[in-house]
Order: sequence, then structure tokens, then C-alpha cells
Amino acid sequence: MKNDNYFSTLIEKTKSNKNTVLPVITILLVIIIFQTINPVFLKAQGRITLVYSMSYFLIAALGLTFVVMMGSFDFSIVSLLKLSALICGLYINKFGLWVIPLAILVCVCFGFVSGFLFAKLKVPSFIATLGISLVAEGIALLLSKGHLLMITNSSFRKLAVTFIGGIPAVFYWAVGICIVSTLIAFILPFGRRVFAIGENAKAASMSGINVDRTRIYVFMLSGFFCGIAGVLYMAQMGGGSVGLGADMMIPLFASVVAGGTALTGGVGGPHRTFFGAIIITWTESGMLMNGASRGMQVVVLGIMAIIMSIATLNKSRI
Amino acid sequence: MINLKKKSVYLDFVKVLKQNPIIVIFFVFFVIFSFLYTRKFLSTMNLQAILGQFVTLMLFALGPSIVMVIGELDLSYVGIWMLGGIIVWMLTPVLGLFSILVFPLLGLVTGTFIGFVHTKTKIPVFILTLSLLVTYWGLTSQLSGGYPRATEKFGFITADIIPYIPTVLFWTIPLIIFAIYLMKFTKIGTYLYAIGSNEEGAKLAGINVKKYKMLAFVISGIFTGLSTIILFQHLGGSVPVELNLDTMVNPLVAIVLGGTPLTGGSGGPHKTIFGALTFSVITRGLNISALHPTTIQLFIGILLIIAIVISARGMKGVEVT
Repeated sequence: MKNDNYFSTLIEKTKSNKNTVLPVITILLVIIIFQTINPVFLKAQGRITLVYSMSYFLIAALGLTFVVMMGSFDFSIVSLLKLSALICGLYINKFGLWVIPLAILVCVCFGFVSGFLFAKLKVPSFIATLGISLVAEGIALLLSKGHLLMITNSSFRKLAVTFIGGIPAVFYWAVGICIVSTLIAFILPFGRRVFAIGENAKAASMSGINVDRTRIYVFMLSGFFCGIAGVLYMAQMGGGSVGLGADMMIPLFASVVAGGTALTGGVGGPHRTFFGAIIITWTESGMLMNGASRGMQVVVLGIMAIIMSIATLNKSRI
Repeated sequence: MINLKKKSVYLDFVKVLKQNPIIVIFFVFFVIFSFLYTRKFLSTMNLQAILGQFVTLMLFALGPSIVMVIGELDLSYVGIWMLGGIIVWMLTPVLGLFSILVFPLLGLVTGTFIGFVHTKTKIPVFILTLSLLVTYWGLTSQLSGGYPRATEKFGFITADIIPYIPTVLFWTIPLIIFAIYLMKFTKIGTYLYAIGSNEEGAKLAGINVKKYKMLAFVISGIFTGLSTIILFQHLGGSVPVELNLDTMVNPLVAIVLGGTPLTGGSGGPHKTIFGALTFSVITRGLNISALHPTTIQLFIGILLIIAIVISARGMKGVEVT
């Protein structure tokens, strides 16, 4: 009898914490499936691949998380990441390591422009960032002229590829930034404002929150994270051209919703995106290790994106 | 009496221009480019190219501009074109000319799927269609094996009938007229405008909002399906296996330039005509100029932003996400 009771409370708890439990179960499923298909998945070599593929990705996804938490969408993430990476590649020999703040600053400026368009000029965020991403992509192409840019500066590359305890440094950057952004979301008043706007923008503005300013800050924060992700991408890969990250948008978005941040806004958080990024990038890497073609990966990720965004949608708020 | 009538015609004309500032913009750009590059811009080849690009934009934008009336953003059109094209290539040896019917079928299925999922789960349409577009692209590159595959059986669609005028125009005009008829002179169109301008009000007025929203997506899918038959041959009888952001964005720019607001409620296919014309004139003019092609892409991005900022004017009360 007691056992039965315990069991039913467990089910109750699972139901009420659906968005926390589901990602963990999915991660376990992903690990079990790919481990049984191909045992390399969790061996040393496989582990490094998994860590490399998720690190810069997680940072970019964190920027998107804040935007989605607010109930908006940011399409420009991939383009800003690309722009930041290419700026690093272009000017590393001229400015040395000072190129990092430069690249991040450029991305923050772009974030400010899309935030301004969205908050002040009332352009829907999806379209505003779509326009911004066209502009950023154009600038990236103009600056790089389509060349492949290689990084030879070893102190820059060491940012990402130094091994600490058997794991590359880029992973620690990602985890650190994830922790910091979780703190931002749950401890600072700024985070509470973002949640409040995502829950109900009108109510938030009536209770004295400066909605427009917070929206601009969130898009600037998103640009900031994209800048960092671009820098670390370049440091990790050691080179890149305008073609980089061409099909990253859907995986990024899928990782945000897979973690449990609902598209309706007001729910979720950066710590959830950590799980989401693990689900998506490990699925991607696992398929790659088993020789699936890019087309097949994209199909699986696209279907996952649709299913997960439906599953995490908060039904009560529609 | 006659004088009065003349005056009213003049006033009507001014009213139309005020409602559609894009017509003025179109003529302004046309005149500017004609003066700047008289010989190149007014050559038959360039005018044909403008018409050709207009057809491309218009056909892609036809379905989405119907969906835009109810305030949603349908991005699946490029996906239908790509996946349909590759299925046509696969089926042509088996079914011959009938394989082209894959396009309307795929459009119908996609539209029904989007409408069903959206009305059941309320997932934002642009996310759903974006994911669907990427899924279709993945399927395309999987099925094609990574190469663009060409079919030459459908050359008759674009074969010359009258010199100097692209034949595709003759196929496009009935489609456009049908779309305008549907939106302006039938019950469906009126209901869709009502839903777009105020969904709650439409519901209270007794319109079955869910049914008509779903119908909008189905109609959009069918129109995209029919358009892609023409587009398939118009764009070379094959489809690319790489997803190009420009192909996706340009029809959207045309719709917004034409004056259909993203929040819905007004506009529609008839406004998109001038949007597409203006957009093709601008891009052709820029292409003739000495600018670098990349700069043109930049210009288009800025154009999109400006057009939307202008069209977003006066929506103070609307909740924007």
C-alpha cells in the first residue's frame, strides 16, 4: 500500500515537472541509442567530439533562450556568429587579442539595432532580425570577399583548444557562461523582468517595468552571446569562411525548445538550454558518427524541432 | 455634370495612390533607373528579365500573401518547390508528364498539415513552417544525392508563343486573377479579412475561425503547389539542393513592399503585384549598376527593414512579439 502511494506521488511529481524530467529522459535515450549502435560514442575520442560540438553551440543557444523567454524570436543568431567569427579571422593579425572585444562589440551593436527595431518601431522580432541577418551576412561577405580565413595566432586558439582535465577549454567557457546566465535569469531583477514580459507584456509595463528598454537589453545580450560564440568557434575550428554555420538556425532553435523553454514565453531558463543543447548536438554527432548524411540529420532535427516545440508549448496560456 | 464626374475620377485616382504608395515608388524607381542607364535599362533583354523576376516573386508570394491576410507567416513555399522538384525528377521515368501533379499534391498535403497542426496546438506558424522548410530541404538533399537533378520533359511550359513576352506570364496571370477573385469576391476572402483584422470579433460574429484559418493554409498550399509547376520550368527545370536565404526572403519583401501588413487584416494578392514589380525593378536596376553583388544583398536587407518599419506604422495598440 505504502509502495503504491509512493509510486503515485512520483507520477504526480513527474507530471508537474514535465519540462524538467523530459529533457533528462531524452538525453538518456540519446546516449543509450547511440551507445548501442556505435560504442565509440562514449569513448575518449567520441567524448571530445561531443564536447566540441556542443560548446560554442550552447553559448549561441543561451542568447536565443533569453529572447524566447521573452516571447520573441531572434533569427540573426547564426549571421551574427558568422560575422563575429569572420572579424576575428580578418583582423587577428592586425589587432592581436584585442579583436575579441571588437567582434563582440559589433555583435552587440547589431543586437541593439534589432532590439530598437522591435521595441521602439514595433517591427515583429522575427522579421526585424531576418532583415538584420541579411545585412550582417552581406557585411560578412563584403569583408571576407568569400575567402577562407585561417587563424595562425596560437594564443588566440589556446582559448578553446587547451585541454584541462582531458576536456577542451571551450567546454569550461560554455559551462561558465551557462551558469552566469542562469544567475542573471534567476537572481538579478533583469531576469525577473524578462520573465514578466514573456508572461504578459502589458501587465509588466503596467507594473512599472520599462518594457522597451528591457527588450533592447535582451537583444543586446543575445548579440553579446553570439559574439562570444563566434570568437570561440573561430578559436576552436582555426578557420572559416562565409559558409560556416549555414544550417545552424533550426538546431539552435530546437535546442532551446527541447530544454523546455516554451515559445509562448515566460517559462524555462538558460539552465534548461544546457540540456537542450546536449540533446540536439549529441543527436547530431551520434548520427554523424554512424555515417548519416547531412540531409538525413537535417530531416531528423527538423522533425524534432516541430515535435518538441509542440510538446513544450504551455497550453494554458493560449 | 461632366465636370463633376471628371473630378470624382481624379479624386478616385488620388485615393488609390494614397492607399497604395507603392505605385508611386514603382514609377519613381522606374524613371530614375531609365534616366541613369537609358540604354541598358530600357533594352528588351532587361525588361524581359524584369518580367521574369516578377513572375518568380509573384508565384512564390501568392500563397503566403493569402496567409499574411490572417496575420500569419507561411515560409513553406521554398520547401514545397525544392522537395516537389526532386520528387518530380524521381517520378518522371515512371509517370511521364503526370509526375508534375506532385507539386499541387505536395502543396495540398503541406498546407493541410500546417493548418491542422497550427489550429490544434497553436504553435507559431513561422516556427512550424521554418522547421518544415528545413525538413523538406534535408529530404531534398537526401533524395537527390547532393546533385541538382534536371528534367527536360516540361520545356513546353515555357516555350515561346509570342515573341518578347515571356510565356510564363500567360500562366501566371490566370493564377493571380483567381487568387484576387478568391480574396475579394467570395465569402472565404471576406471571412479571412475579418479574422485577420480581429480574430475575437470574427469569432463573436459567428465565423468558424478554426475552420477558415485552416482553409487559409490549405488554399495557400494549393496556390504554392500550382505556382511551383510553372516555377519549376521557369527556373530551369531543376531545383537547387542548397537552401538559399535570398529565395526565402525576397517574396516576403515583395509582400511587405506591396503593403500587406504583417499583422493581417488588409492587403492581399492584388497588392503584392506592385510589390513584386517594384522589387524586381529595384534589383534589376541595382544589378545593372556598378555595385558589387554583395552590396545589393545588403541593400535588400535594408529595404526589407525600411518597408516593414513603414508598414508597421500606426499599429500602436497591437501586441508585437
